Amino acid sequence: MVTFLRKRILSSAVPLVFVVLGVFFLARMTGDPVDLYLPLSATAEQRAEFSAAQGFDLSVPAQLWNYLADAARLDFGTSLRTGQSATEMVLDAFPVTLQLAGVTMLLAITGAVLIGSLAAYRPNSLVDRIAGLLSMTAASIPDFWFAVMGVLVFGVSLAWLPTSGTLGGPEVWVLPVATLLIRPFGVLVQVVRGSMVSALSAPYVKVARAKGATPQRVIFGHALRNAVTPVLTVAGDLTVGLVNGAVIVETIFGWPGIGKLMIDSILQRDFAVLQAAVLMTAVTIFALNILVDVCHALTDPRVRQAVPA
Amino acid sequence: MSEGRIVTEETEEEVPAANGREDAPGPTPAPKSPPRWWLLLGRDRVAAAGAVVLTVVLLVALFGRLLIGDRAQRQDLDASLRAPSLSDGFYGLLGTDVLGRSVLARLIDAAGTTLSVAVPAVLCSLVIGSAIGLWAGYHGGRRESVAMRVADVILSFPSLLIAVVVLYVFSPSALNIVLILAVARIPVYLRTSRAEAAELRSRLFVDAARTFGTPSRQIIHRHILPIALPTLLTVATLDFCFVMLTESSLSFLGIGIQPPDVSWGLMVAQGRQYLQTAWWITVLPGLAIVLTTVSATVLAAWARIATDPAQRWRLTLPRKRRGASAAVPPEMIP
Amino acid sequence: MRFSVSPLPPTGRRRLRAPTATLLAGTVLLSSGCAVAGSAAGDAGRADGRTLRVVLTQEPPTLEPCEASLTGTGVVVRSNITEPLVERDPDSGELHPLLATGWKQTGDRTWTFDTRSGVTFQNGEPFTARDAAFSIDRAVNSDLACNVEGYVFGDEDLEVKAESDTRLTVTTERPDPILPLRLSFVEIVPRTTDPDSKVRVPIGTGPYAVSSWQAGAAIVLSRYDDYWGDAPDFPRARYVWRSDASVRAAMIEKDEAEIAVALDPVEAGKDTTVAYPNNETTALRLDGREAPLDDLRVRRAVDLAVDREGIIDALLGGLAEPAGQLVPPGVVGHDEGIEPVRQNVAEAKALIEEAEADGVPVGRQITLVARNGMFSGVSETAEALQYQMQRIGLNVKVRMADTATQLQYQLRPLPENVGPIALLIMHGNQAGDAAFTTSQYLLSDGPQSTFGTEELDRRIDDAGALSGEQRQTAFANLLADQNRTVVQYAHLAHMSGLLGLSPSIRYEPNSATGDEMRLAEVGPAKAGRH
Repeated sequence: MVTFLRKRILSSAVPLVFVVLGVFFLARMTGDPVDLYLPLSATAEQRAEFSAAQGFDLSVPAQLWNYLADAARLDFGTSLRTGQSATEMVLDAFPVTLQLAGVTMLLAITGAVLIGSLAAYRPNSLVDRIAGLLSMTAASIPDFWFAVMGVLVFGVSLAWLPTSGTLGGPEVWVLPVATLLIRPFGVLVQVVRGSMVSALSAPYVKVARAKGATPQRVIFGHALRNAVTPVLTVAGDLTVGLVNGAVIVETIFGWPGIGKLMIDSILQRDFAVLQAAVLMTAVTIFALNILVDVCHALTDPRVRQAVPA
Repeated sequence: MSEGRIVTEETEEEVPAANGREDAPGPTPAPKSPPRWWLLLGRDRVAAAGAVVLTVVLLVALFGRLLIGDRAQRQDLDASLRAPSLSDGFYGLLGTDVLGRSVLARLIDAAGTTLSVAVPAVLCSLVIGSAIGLWAGYHGGRRESVAMRVADVILSFPSLLIAVVVLYVFSPSALNIVLILAVARIPVYLRTSRAEAAELRSRLFVDAARTFGTPSRQIIHRHILPIALPTLLTVATLDFCFVMLTESSLSFLGIGIQPPDVSWGLMVAQGRQYLQTAWWITVLPGLAIVLTTVSATVLAAWARIATDPAQRWRLTLPRKRRGASAAVPPEMIP
Repeated sequence: MRFSVSPLPPTGRRRLRAPTATLLAGTVLLSSGCAVAGSAAGDAGRADGRTLRVVLTQEPPTLEPCEASLTGTGVVVRSNITEPLVERDPDSGELHPLLATGWKQTGDRTWTFDTRSGVTFQNGEPFTARDAAFSIDRAVNSDLACNVEGYVFGDEDLEVKAESDTRLTVTTERPDPILPLRLSFVEIVPRTTDPDSKVRVPIGTGPYAVSSWQAGAAIVLSRYDDYWGDAPDFPRARYVWRSDASVRAAMIEKDEAEIAVALDPVEAGKDTTVAYPNNETTALRLDGREAPLDDLRVRRAVDLAVDREGIIDALLGGLAEPAGQLVPPGVVGHDEGIEPVRQNVAEAKALIEEAEADGVPVGRQITLVARNGMFSGVSETAEALQYQMQRIGLNVKVRMADTATQLQYQLRPLPENVGPIALLIMHGNQAGDAAFTTSQYLLSDGPQSTFGTEELDRRIDDAGALSGEQRQTAFANLLADQNRTVVQYAHLAHMSGLLGLSPSIRYEPNSATGDEMRLAEVGPAKAGRH
């Protein structure tokens, strides 16, 4: 297993380099930040000075070299917008998103496994149909629409919850997590149900039922472990999607997470912060993928055998 | 009741199909082909409803623009924010938006744009992602590693960044959005198909085919693909929904479909600020998105069972008996 | 090797493991999450009558005082944390003494200011004219590239000298009758402030000092007890930010904030919202260097095609007035006699046909560029303008852009090879004098102008040297003339802002509120107020 981990980590290094290079070029393709940061009357000299200070006057390979050298030391420069260290800004914002994503996925996976298994146990029954319809609808609702409705209904009309912000106890988590939750939950219920239906139709399950096993034992003891492969994959992808895509929730509810930081730095052409943020997200995503692969190996003996020990 | 008779007939029809045998047991000579799919569809009311909705949406998307002409663009600032009513003519049925344009006409126009963005994006990423994933998963080793790393690279790029770059460097257009969405979703299919292929490659029948000298491509195409296909199709329909929602979120952030083009997602995003005064502008396109995606999902779930020979029997059960002791096929019911 | 032979644990134990692990993980995450939320809490978020809670649209990028002409920074800093020498009254346009007690022009190009004594900075240091000299020098003459420098002073430098602790002279390169007005933008900082780099958190002489800044979450100000003037009512102020207008409005309704800026016009009419004219004017800038927009008839036809009333009523919620010039009422140079152009589609069509008959390529595609989020309803306005221009026979395409991209179209150097551009601009004249507007937007080589005429340039220069009533007349006349002879702009509307106000406070917004929200003017609602 250790060898497996080592190989996986090493093989993630190459794509990481690609991401680092890619964001460098893509960021610069978005345009010149000069207009945004210099006063209107800036003379040509002032523009030249500004460019020089940011290193834009160097040739692209030279800029790339500086960038890579700095990145290796985890120095991404200072933000054009605020003057703070880019690394610091990213490290402040990242835990917020991570916690949001973590809580959301935990709740989504737990709920989806329970409901999906229940639905799969009796396919085409009333429970199954309702679960199916609800989960499909949940997966179809635009998240920003849900968020604004949530604020209007629960925040203002019913006044059960605070409208936004990070101030307060667990109640500030409810709306943001609920908004982030609906789509992964809907998708996972579908996937769990689908693969559980297949798993539950295996011969040994029929034998177990014929022998009188209780439904819980059948589901959790036998079928779930075999149904888990596609569920893990999809859950992994959804978590990754959350890390990158909590932007809407962070924007509407005012949570200072990495998604909001990224979109602000894109729109403000703040290359330093953008590069730092993308790199941090990329590392997290690679780590998550390795985790998913490890889980695959742990739960599916057949995959394990295929893995060189 | 005639239930007993129906069960017997269907079972008899089923058995030859599953076994591929030509002679049929029992008094009635059984037909050789599996039951007609539209009969199967008709038996499942929900799936049938889904199919109808989807067909309507498809027709509207293809031909709607011909029928409405330029109605979707005609503005009338004096008729701003009119509620849905029966007295404003056909085009006033669903009210008007803030520029006085008929919401009904806009919905029809938007159907075309939304589908012309979502369907190609999903098809592209499905075909490309699955092809690479199946190939990589089957062969394993370095090819698998490389494919997974490529997927990682794509996944960890913020799709936002790519969207902004593409939109502002190149000209904003529906085609560019399709490309962005397609590329961004390839890793999903890649991973799923790789996982399926990796699991299947050690199965006995694949081993047997390999021993017989069947070339890899045929093995993948003939043996692995049909088994992986149901999962992939499920993922694709869920992804179709996701693509429509992503396009809507991009429009909300201002980097998706650009005005004066219109899509359901853009209508939801633009109408959001009028939620309390003119709910129809944002709720109706949202409803359209939900209806379309739910129909697609329901139909795909049905199709998954219908195309899987081991599961098809479920669809042939009369409705009443389908719910009973679900995991167990009728042969075992005493 | 280890794994291939290890037996699976019995089902019972295995069954317990997964849920337990889940619970543990969940508890850890939640508790650490509460820690994150808790640390951002700090002061009370509830209404306690002592904290004034303001919700802005975005986090100020910095609180550096020399960037105070940036709206995001100025709204927090100006006259709250720092103060200028001279203050402009937004309603009357008059200048009031603040840190300067008096001023007069003592030479052709020189002004002398007397500064106030008995004032201390928030770090305890006394304020003298030397601090004022240092601040002006730092903001205008240094290499910091402050926003104030570009916006207010152009690229001219000032010669500043502190004659004594209470006297200051400022000399300009050319005679400048409105120097005191320009100086109202320079916020005074202690002379110990870093002259070589911008600071994030300032020290000033104002009634509030920065107490804390939790990046991304909130800025808290607390009352400065040794302030030289009248103490404000609220001992504390807390700024937060939400980019969604409906969330800002919801915060007022739910009593999570006392003041909310920039609400959507949909919220107008409620008793928790107040509309106020905010100095911003929207207009369509036509690029007069590219056909067909280089033909005066085409430009005038565009002006006639626009349905100002319709756009204002339907898209801006009625919260604006049709405009006929870039300078709003209340600003020196505004011409009361200019009538906004009334829509006349027939005349517009006739002009286009006439131009077409003369060989002008009216079918050439014009790109209408607008910035997302510039004002509420901007993309609908762009679509309406496109429709109205197409009705008269032009070929128009809309391009919605983000700030950075739109700035490329707006500022010189203008982009090449993009064809004829109609740019939707919003000009905020917070300075109070038409000189700022004309030098930017009407000069032939103005930073935000695409073309002009020599005569207009000359008249602008001449008017800039006048003062008083002559200045007003000169500018008013040349604005009217611009509409007749140059027609670079199809003016749209003088805009209004919408502020959300909790019933627990009283505050009168004025035209400067969006750029400079003076917390000292906010007080608790009097008992018995209806």
